[in-house]
Amino acid sequence: MERVLDVRNLKVYYFTSKGPVRAVDDISFYINKGETLGVVGESGCGKTTLGTALLNMPTPPGKVVGGEIIIDGTNILELNENQLRKNVRWEKISMVFQGAMNSLTPAYTIEKQMLETLRYHRELDEQEARERIKKYVNLVGLSDDVLKRYPHELSGGMKQRIVIAMALFLEPELVICDEPTTALDVVVQAQIINLLKELKQKLNLSFIFVTHDLATEAEVADRIMVMYAGKIAEIGTNDQIYGEQGPMHPYTSNLLAATPRLHKKVEKLNFIPGSPPDLLNPPAGCRFHLRCPVVMEKCRTEEPPLKEVEKDHYVACWRCYENE
Amino acid sequence: MYGQYAIKRIIYAIINYAIIIFILSALFNASMEATLRSQIEEMIQGEFLARDLTGYTVEEINELKALRRDELYRRYHLYDPMIVRVFWRTYDTLTFNLGKSTSVTSSAGERNVSIIVGEAIPKTALLFTVSAFFNILIGIFLGIKKAQKPGGLLDQSTSILTMIVYGMPSWWLGMMLIMFFVYKLNLFPSGGILSTPPPTGFMYYLDILYHMALPVLTMILLRAWGGAYLIRNIVLGTLQEDYIMSARARGIPENRVLYGHTLRSAAPPIVTMSVMSLLTSFGGAIIFEGIFSWPGMGNLYWIALQQNDIPVLLGNLSVTILLYMAGLVLLDLIYGFLDPRIKVGGKK
Amino acid sequence: MRNDGNKAKKKTSISRETRIKEFKESLKEFWSDFKQVKYGIVGLVLLIVFILMMVLEPFIIPFPEAGERWSDITYWIDNPRSAAPAWVNWFSGKKNTVHEFLTEPELQVTDTPQFQVVEAEFNYNYKYDIPPGELTLKALGKGNVVVEAEIIRPDGETINLVRKNFNTRNETEIRIPLGNEAATRIINFGREFESTENSRNVQRHLLKPMEILFSKAQEGILVKPEPLKGDYRINVKAIIVGKDSYIKDPEVVVSGKVFGFLGTDDARRDIWSGIVVGTKWAIFIGLLTAFVSIAVGIMYGVTMAYFGGWVDSLMMRIYEIFVSIPMLPVLVVFSAVFSPSLWTLILFMCVFYWTGPVLTVRSMALQIKEETYIEAAHALNASTGRIIFKHMIPQLIPYAFANMALSVPGAIVAEASISLLGLGDASVVTWGQILHGAMKSSAVLKGLWWWIVPPGLMIALLGMTFAFLGFSMDKILNPKLKTR
Repeated sequence: MERVLDVRNLKVYYFTSKGPVRAVDDISFYINKGETLGVVGESGCGKTTLGTALLNMPTPPGKVVGGEIIIDGTNILELNENQLRKNVRWEKISMVFQGAMNSLTPAYTIEKQMLETLRYHRELDEQEARERIKKYVNLVGLSDDVLKRYPHELSGGMKQRIVIAMALFLEPELVICDEPTTALDVVVQAQIINLLKELKQKLNLSFIFVTHDLATEAEVADRIMVMYAGKIAEIGTNDQIYGEQGPMHPYTSNLLAATPRLHKKVEKLNFIPGSPPDLLNPPAGCRFHLRCPVVMEKCRTEEPPLKEVEKDHYVACWRCYENE
Repeated sequence: MYGQYAIKRIIYAIINYAIIIFILSALFNASMEATLRSQIEEMIQGEFLARDLTGYTVEEINELKALRRDELYRRYHLYDPMIVRVFWRTYDTLTFNLGKSTSVTSSAGERNVSIIVGEAIPKTALLFTVSAFFNILIGIFLGIKKAQKPGGLLDQSTSILTMIVYGMPSWWLGMMLIMFFVYKLNLFPSGGILSTPPPTGFMYYLDILYHMALPVLTMILLRAWGGAYLIRNIVLGTLQEDYIMSARARGIPENRVLYGHTLRSAAPPIVTMSVMSLLTSFGGAIIFEGIFSWPGMGNLYWIALQQNDIPVLLGNLSVTILLYMAGLVLLDLIYGFLDPRIKVGGKK
Repeated sequence: MRNDGNKAKKKTSISRETRIKEFKESLKEFWSDFKQVKYGIVGLVLLIVFILMMVLEPFIIPFPEAGERWSDITYWIDNPRSAAPAWVNWFSGKKNTVHEFLTEPELQVTDTPQFQVVEAEFNYNYKYDIPPGELTLKALGKGNVVVEAEIIRPDGETINLVRKNFNTRNETEIRIPLGNEAATRIINFGREFESTENSRNVQRHLLKPMEILFSKAQEGILVKPEPLKGDYRINVKAIIVGKDSYIKDPEVVVSGKVFGFLGTDDARRDIWSGIVVGTKWAIFIGLLTAFVSIAVGIMYGVTMAYFGGWVDSLMMRIYEIFVSIPMLPVLVVFSAVFSPSLWTLILFMCVFYWTGPVLTVRSMALQIKEETYIEAAHALNASTGRIIFKHMIPQLIPYAFANMALSVPGAIVAEASISLLGLGDASVVTWGQILHGAMKSSAVLKGLWWWIVPPGLMIALLGMTFAFLGFSMDKILNPKLKTR
């Protein structure tokens, strides 16, 4: 299968006045064409940092300090701003930002913003440009008259759809969706999820779907990557993680267990004791060892590498290797 | 939406202005009436000197004068109760019937206060709008440069400059510059708006520019940094916004992001700040214009003060307040126009 | 029920202690933040300098009564008119005589049965190129006094200057312009050394006795004199006749062209004294105006937020009216018509400055009000009003201080502007008043820069000081960044 994205040993640190915060610390993964990779984890595990890093645009004071991001055979970390702007951003890889409420410039109409983006990437005349914009606006389920509107005139759900339309209309190879539904109410959430599923099918795009909401992830993702404290804990297919067997990494299982189910009776909410570690001074060994219910001696001192324990199923856990 | 907003603002302003003029009229009623009374006497004397009074006795003449006086007092409402008099004064002021000066004259030699003040307005407007223009331009240019490298050398040095000139009176700096450039270096004229005799044609305009150079320079030296400082803060704040990052992610060139998205979004507060600083410097113009003998409204205060011409002072004040308020209203209107949330209204 | 009340009271008293501790801690935190901002420290240092100037006023000025006797010509009578500062000499090739007062000479009193002889010796070191305009002998005397004076030059030549008789009933001031009195004698002295040709050609009325007195005794003394620098001695002998006669406080005034730290104005007033005296007024006016107006503004804003509804709307309308008026023109016209005293002026300025913090304070207060209602629902506390005030005041204090500091320069400039126009309170010596004098005497035209630059410079410096302080406080405490 053709890989659309190949990430190797990526490191992104935030250089704060107190020192470097290791938000993303040596992770490697890949995405196949037409696949949706779900990225889950608690707040602060590094998932959003990952998103902006893939565009080589980490939020300041963040900086990519190592690794490779290979798209179409090129390591985009080696390109300069100009090349990135022209060839990579929005052409090969686009992003649907968290909090679409604020992703659109309030001073310009929707049409103006979309036209502007389009014009900077493609040589289209006005007529063609407008047609393409209309096509995608309709594709996301909106009527043409949103184009003349200003962002503040649209509802949250509508804005999100526009942002999605903009992410798609250059037909990039990979679309990163960073918590696209978090700020919306449940009904709209469902609509957006369905829309994304539809588009995925129609346009045969590859997605990275970042969220902390496991239920959504279960619905949209083909494969799922669980991050913890800047590292990958587990990567597996939807079945492998959510299926009967259950995930292997203790963090993932706890995460799933902690999700309250609507149908089952719950006496006590499961939760994972403790809080995510300080990425300024991460703990030695496995980063989860302080909260792990099945921790071993080895976990405290040695960091477990990501190993393939079954086909397409990777885990970074000493305990899990043993169980094999 | 915008139309409603605009009309509401304008009406509010007009009402406020009326209230202010009413209060001022009440406050200064006593002195204005004193002036009025003496002006009426002046008028009567003038009238009677021109008449042929042969055959009248002194008592008869005085009686005639008293009658005439009575008639005039009636016409100017001087017998009416206080509140009515104040009301009439307010009405007069609002309709720009500002009375006669006691000694100041217009360029044509008239003593009509409205004309005197009217002549001064364009000169002040010229000076201040030109200064404001340069200030805004420099402010935006410097402000953006500062925002791009916050904490850098340019940023820190201009911020310090802002603080240094913060308490500096505009007129004092003007005096310094005059002493240096005019008397020491003899580079610029010492005052006025035109040389005597004024040149014609194209040179006329150049002459004005030549006279304007020093005052405008003073204003720029004083205000440009403050503007840059505020714009820098506004721009920095805007640059943190998500939609800027989003625009960059979409591959839009940095220049366009900066001058298009950022500046356009920050336009409402920037414009507010620029116009406000223009209006506030308006207040300090009195001595400033006086120093440069710039024949605007500020200088008019100075002249009227020296000659103790109360009608001119009050007339000038009324117009000053009117222009100030008009500036504020204009500001609101421009703000509303620039901010699409106001221009177009809420959700549909 | 009663127990709950006590419990509630205990809660508030405990929380007050903790609140005071919190306050002290936040002060410490504030101070450490403040120390880091460089210009804040500069501002603080400058402020201390100004305060020292204000406090040490009587000690650092040569004319301690400058404030009260600013318009009293007699106080300044012995100063030169429109004299540049003394240090101008450092920059000029030809040094001007520095105006000096030779006081406290060595006195020698000899009593004889008929009269008393008081001899005073004044030592004067002349080191300039341009001689003094005059040497004036001053003393207080009563009764029958005969005054003699002579001068001994560094080259040993002695010239008798004057012998004058005074007879007064009451104590009066004796003033003898020595150069004037001895003009002929000095010129004759000069002729002794001058060539006959020069002596004959020179025009009498062009000769300046003082010049000759302080020049080298050689040919050319009358036409192209060279300064004789060195130690001069002026011996004054007073013969006092009569029991009730006396002479005291003899003094020689050397009339120089330059004087003091900042020179004099055309009414002979020492400008340095004026500047120092004005310092306390500037600080006073600035701080008082800023304090009162900001305090009023804050209370106004809090009241608006607290009551809300129609009270808020009404107060907003009133606020809008005040904001629409430009202060200075109104202040000018008002002062022209009503000639206000200093206090009225300050009050007037407060009437305009209070609008500054209102909007920000109102929005801060509204924010707190929102949250406090929720708090109140949980904590069953006393009236929300008390909570708002108890919570709000500590939070608003830093904002208030920053705001006050930034309002001070404006107030100082406003007062200076009014005084400069001649509309201020003439009984108070402010920097603006000094400038008013300068304007009236066309100082700009006459190039009397030492009259114009210092007052305005002080205004600018004091303004800068408060700007430094205010901005550094603002940087640390900006309410827009500090939300609950």
